[in-house]
Amino acid sequence: MSDAYDRNLVESESSTYQRLAASIVGVGILAFAFALAALFDLTAIDATFVGLSLSNLLGVGTTLVGLGVVGLGAVSYVGYVETTPDRSAGLVPAVLFGLLWFCVAGLVVSQTFGFGALVWLPAALLVGAGAAGVAIFPREDIGSTLPAGAFALLVGLVFLTNVIGPDWAWSPTDFSATFTPKIVVPFLTVLAVLVASWAAGKAYDDFGARGRQTGAYMLIALNALGILSVLVILVAFVVSKGIGPLFEGFSVGASGIDWPFVQNGNQLTNDVNGVFPAIVGTFWLVVGSVIMAVPLAVGAAVFLTEYAEEGRFTQVVELATNGLWSTPSIVFGLFGYAFLVPRLGNSTSLLSGIFVLGFMLIPLVLITSREAINAVPDEYRDASAALGVSQWQTIKSVVVPAAMPGVITGVILGVGRIAGETAPILLVMSGSPFPSKRQAPNVLDISFSFTSSFPFVDASLISQEALLNSASALPYQLYAIITAGVGQSEAFGWGTTLVLLLVVLSFYAVGIASRAYFRNKLRS
Amino acid sequence: MAESSLKQSFDTFRAAEDIDASALLAGAVGVVFLLTALTSFVLRLGLEVPAIVGFVVVLGYGWYAHQGLTAKAVTFLMTVSTVLILGMITVFLVLESLHAFRLMGVNMLVGMDEPVTVFGVTVLPGLGNFWQPSSATYSLVPAMWGTFVTTLIATAVAAPLGVACALFLAEIAPNWAREIVKPGIEILAGIPSIVYGFIGFTVLNTYVFQNFQTPSQGSFFLVGGVIGVMALPTVVSVAEDSLDTVPDSMKDGALALGSTDWQTMTSITLPAAFSGVSAAVLLGVGRAIGETMAATVILGNTVGLPQPLYDVFGNNVTLTTLIASQYGDAGETQLSALFAAGVVLFVTVLFLSLTSLRIEAKLKQELSGD
Repeated sequence: MSDAYDRNLVESESSTYQRLAASIVGVGILAFAFALAALFDLTAIDATFVGLSLSNLLGVGTTLVGLGVVGLGAVSYVGYVETTPDRSAGLVPAVLFGLLWFCVAGLVVSQTFGFGALVWLPAALLVGAGAAGVAIFPREDIGSTLPAGAFALLVGLVFLTNVIGPDWAWSPTDFSATFTPKIVVPFLTVLAVLVASWAAGKAYDDFGARGRQTGAYMLIALNALGILSVLVILVAFVVSKGIGPLFEGFSVGASGIDWPFVQNGNQLTNDVNGVFPAIVGTFWLVVGSVIMAVPLAVGAAVFLTEYAEEGRFTQVVELATNGLWSTPSIVFGLFGYAFLVPRLGNSTSLLSGIFVLGFMLIPLVLITSREAINAVPDEYRDASAALGVSQWQTIKSVVVPAAMPGVITGVILGVGRIAGETAPILLVMSGSPFPSKRQAPNVLDISFSFTSSFPFVDASLISQEALLNSASALPYQLYAIITAGVGQSEAFGWGTTLVLLLVVLSFYAVGIASRAYFRNKLRS
Repeated sequence: MAESSLKQSFDTFRAAEDIDASALLAGAVGVVFLLTALTSFVLRLGLEVPAIVGFVVVLGYGWYAHQGLTAKAVTFLMTVSTVLILGMITVFLVLESLHAFRLMGVNMLVGMDEPVTVFGVTVLPGLGNFWQPSSATYSLVPAMWGTFVTTLIATAVAAPLGVACALFLAEIAPNWAREIVKPGIEILAGIPSIVYGFIGFTVLNTYVFQNFQTPSQGSFFLVGGVIGVMALPTVVSVAEDSLDTVPDSMKDGALALGSTDWQTMTSITLPAAFSGVSAAVLLGVGRAIGETMAATVILGNTVGLPQPLYDVFGNNVTLTTLIASQYGDAGETQLSALFAAGVVLFVTVLFLSLTSLRIEAKLKQELSGD
């Protein structure tokens, strides 16, 4: 929402009712945290705290939350506190509550009591419809708290009475899996806490339009936090696992830095095996595909924005760009395997990898460059044209330089994307799964000499052999470790993962930061 | 008649672009060289190098004599090349898969191992097997089912969470929170799929194996969840873009009537951007369908259908993992069958992406007024 509409005109003191609602959410958060701890193996499900097993403890928590939420609704309903509920909780909560209670009743009747579909289906439908009815027909304060609170209460009681306790297990006949309390207890706790906290959040702001907003914002903010924590946990986990192998044998001495994991290849004689060939391979892949794709993509972007008129042709190009953007990477790999590999030396090669990743890079750069060139204000072009400068001169010396920051950002982000691609290079480039240092592609081969035969000079800049031979790359190296069965080389795998993640994420970090920098500069 | 009008329009084009005879000749020669190089590369005639050298020479002359015109022509050729690449991908995929399609016919897409009977009438004779290179039997049904199941799970994860996060970024978050979450989402998009695969293979597979006591390591359930997380950033950023296209004036109207921000979102912003948000979900679905590496290393890749069909803990194969796990030791026919899997994948994803493109364009048009 635009910031101009800050309308918190009335700041009221928080009432006892609000404090009660907040403390219910607080208890919920506590239970939530314990549930996550159990889920992530930080504590065992049958561990005891203050004389209670964890599942009982979670039961106490959810029971409290459930009772509290039902209480909040009841207090508001009898008019003990002044709230502003609507006539009904609304259709969306009703449908969701109906579904929730349908599942609860269906599972209990069919699994706990073992009835067939003829019994459980009507029973579940009845209960589900009942829950939906409770949400729709009474006033909002009852409609949104009772089904939620009752669910939390039920979950809590089930845990407290050890109906689902540490020794419980459920193997549904149709699934090849068994649900153990370690998964089910935290899952049900989290679900109950979320549902009940939503109701408590509504109660906090006296139901009605404002209450609904508070409840919804709470869940949405929690969701964003959850997504962010997935990222943080993922990166932190890889760093914690990979930092050891990455720096094994690392030393800074008189002869310079000795960093075996980065400087070595794979060899029996090595103390520490490293990923040097993969790093070199990834480097040349990135350089090659940038050289191939960026001029092409930027040129196309220039044509589309500066020369072409909107019409059939630009539409087709747009379709093609979007098609290329969304084409799965394995399809690019198949294409390279069928088209490039037979034509480039008939074996997997670095050059094929460069081509395929270049093809993948084109749409990424094209789309961002087009946006960047489009964002150049028309005044620039007009001013240049008014000086009598030709269109091409204008593009060359005004438009493209002005769009450069955006183009570069797009290139960096695109490179980050392709540097981590595995599927295409698996098909068109991969060779030895654990290359030694000598197998690192040596692309630069600068030599110059005079010879006696035509054309009398023998100069070379790039080694054809290196380009036409298979090479490794960081993502492929990681895949090779997995197919080799991990086992012994798990530490090596984590080290490789960390290097790959560092390479890719630093491209992203630089790209995002430079974009933010140029945007701010543009705005000021 | 038609010829003369063609000539006429060409003449106007020439006049408009100020193309004199030497430029025309150079352009024609350049195009001939380029076409020769391309044809030679495709048909393996071995003429690429001289043709490219010729093109570069012509290019040099054009740059020297008619820089503006050359620049325009070159950028035009670059634009055409993007279309050409997509065209070549289509052509080569289809060409390579023709052999398998000819061999299996419609059974490639619908063939079952057991005969299918409806009320005692056999509607589809069984192949005896889904996928057996030794008897040249190939059916994509198990792989398509696997892709369907994993994509369904992934969408169930990515769509609601992604749209909620987009709403958070576009409408709810205070500035400081947006500055943190938005780059975070973008970085999440950057994590390579093989990294998810490695974590899935070493950590999550074991976790699911122990705590769900599945018969083997790897399951659709886990793959769907992981792919869902991977598709999440796509949904978030595209949905956020389309929420941003809803003009402030529409929201102001609701706010002026005294609605809360949340009411404005649910009754104005979300309905107005609904098509854009669904386009975002479609793109996310496309990403999930095409996801390869994480699924390949997590799944067991045995070709078959889970029993029963809806057993989400099945440990079978998807279209992408079929290709990635079998291309290495595939014979000619099997390879062609894998290309057929690629065609199915390509067509599905292309369809999803173009549909979402159309939806987005329509939304922009609608919201820009008129």
